[in-house]
Amino acid sequence: MGWRAAPAAPCLACPAHSRAFLPTAAAAQLTRSCGPSQPWRCRSGGTSSRLCSSCSPGRCWSPCGTRAPSRPCSPRARMTVVTPGARRPLARTPGSTACLTGTSWRCRPVQKAELTRLANTLLHVPNLHWLVVEDAPRRTPLTARLLRDTGLNYTHLHVETPRNYKLRGDARDPRIPRGTMQRNLALRWLREAFPRNSSQPGVVYFADDDNTYSLELFEEMRSTRRVSVWPVAFVGGLRYEAPRVNGAGKVVGWKTVFDPHRPFAIDMAGFAVNLRLILQRSQAYFKLRGVKGGYQESSLLRELVTLSDLEPKAANCTKILVWHTRTEKPVLVNEGKKGFTDPTVEI
Amino acid sequence: IALVQLGQPCVCLPPLRAAAEQLRQKDLRISQLQADLRRPPPAPAQPPEPEALPTIYVVTPTYARLVQKAELVQPSQTLSLVPRLQWLLVEDAEGPTPLVSGLLAASGLLFTHLAVLSHKAQRLWPRGVEQRNRALDWGAVGGEKDPPPPGTRGVMYFADNDNTYSRKLFEEMRWTCGVSVWPVGLVGGLQFEGPRIQDGRVVGFHTAWEPNRPFPVDMAGFAVALSLLLAKPNSRFDATAPWGHLESSLLSHLVDPKDLEPRAANCTRVLVWHTRTEKPKMKQEEQLQRGGRGSDPAVEV
Repeated sequence: MGWRAAPAAPCLACPAHSRAFLPTAAAAQLTRSCGPSQPWRCRSGGTSSRLCSSCSPGRCWSPCGTRAPSRPCSPRARMTVVTPGARRPLARTPGSTACLTGTSWRCRPVQKAELTRLANTLLHVPNLHWLVVEDAPRRTPLTARLLRDTGLNYTHLHVETPRNYKLRGDARDPRIPRGTMQRNLALRWLREAFPRNSSQPGVVYFADDDNTYSLELFEEMRSTRRVSVWPVAFVGGLRYEAPRVNGAGKVVGWKTVFDPHRPFAIDMAGFAVNLRLILQRSQAYFKLRGVKGGYQESSLLRELVTLSDLEPKAANCTKILVWHTRTEKPVLVNEGKKGFTDPTVEI
Repeated sequence: IALVQLGQPCVCLPPLRAAAEQLRQKDLRISQLQADLRRPPPAPAQPPEPEALPTIYVVTPTYARLVQKAELVQPSQTLSLVPRLQWLLVEDAEGPTPLVSGLLAASGLLFTHLAVLSHKAQRLWPRGVEQRNRALDWGAVGGEKDPPPPGTRGVMYFADNDNTYSRKLFEEMRWTCGVSVWPVGLVGGLQFEGPRIQDGRVVGFHTAWEPNRPFPVDMAGFAVALSLLLAKPNSRFDATAPWGHLESSLLSHLVDPKDLEPRAANCTRVLVWHTRTEKPKMKQEEQLQRGGRGSDPAVEV
């Protein structure tokens, strides 16, 4: 069943795909998509007017005919985006209340906002599966409701990081980086969901919920054969960190100031892995303990690939398509000790 | 004989001539069919534009800084999910900049790109006043850039670019007759600030910071019908208003608190959050720049 661009238009079959995908609210009058077809917007004179889309056997095109090229409706790699929803305790500032397990306090007031924002981004990406892993003893109703309401294809997992790992850790080992256990659970889930020699095309990307992602980034990573890499803005104390790419299009090093001798001096948001590689190297996980700051990415990537195998994207790593933005901790001083606002209102 | 030498069939005999003609016709037909296959099919009828829906005009002031692009990419993705919406992006600049122009062009949104340079005194605080007033000029009086046609039904919403908006918020505000209001999360030192409702009417405000403000609502917590702005065309934000009173400086011209229209399930649901983006740490960048080895400024961040 193809897109129905208007009630009177014929429905055309696009047999390659089985998933229905309705990325936007404006498509409410459209019925089902043939899978990875993208709703196209008509443009004239710099303004965009309406949403229109069509898919016929083998091809999707923009009926408005202006800028959007037609694309083959071939089975494109499905994107799996892993988001660890880490729990961050409130900082102890005078007048605020520390996060205590068992009280009615939410431990992370920005969680819903950040997941909402990320969902609004992911809604634009065709053929995507969102793996959200909560750092919690059970799936929280807030996250469950939010995920259900987005309309996205998702899986909701949870694993709680033990308290001692979060706060102090072993005196000899530094605290484990936030999100490690959650990302590892996602890797394990993928390995259980797909057989080792699965031919399902897919790409796995670890997307933390406070970063900013351009839509172009997801299309760049889709063609990943093993591990692809690109620049990330606002990390390592720089405007951006980037892989160093030679004239032959090979990654030969890293443009970074913070510990440039790391095997993979790259941020979590700066790479994606082909699903087949994840499945084949079934023992590759992020290292939990004894990992120096900034080495978490290397702890996984060195199990998967060598430097020369990396595939540079984003115009040979010269374009910024992802920004390591961070949300400020909200100042909730006026809540006081007993809580000023109605605790039943979900924020 | 010459034709045979060229490899062509001899068509000198009538039956052969007829057969050759048939083949030629078939070749022609095959070429036509191939051309048809290459040509994209005719466009199906467009979905009817939801004409009945009032347009939401979202006003976002912006100024050049490190996170400017990132903080415009985010809201553009949310706004793209909302039908019948026009983004009024107003730069604090002498004219439209290439960074913002490029972003708007790539966004797929219906937009109007304006620019007005703040007076020196206003560049620090309160930010965005002149830019929002420029948008009000555009909405109420029109200007050189595609003002809304007369009789347009619509609503204006002042959306700062670091907040987080859910899609549902826009449907809540769309049918505003005067000024509609709702709670805003993570503002005023509280989990949320918002109007207090009784019998469907605003009877007060739940706020802890400066509760005596005439309208203790955040910029993200209200929307104004275009018709009201046209009826009161001189209503503007007052840049000299005390801290926190900017919203009141506009709303006091437009409506009484008792006439505010509550949304979001009688102001019990939070559909917008006053999130703020941390300033990125640039320690290593500054260090490199001191040594003349800063990152390539041609790479747009």
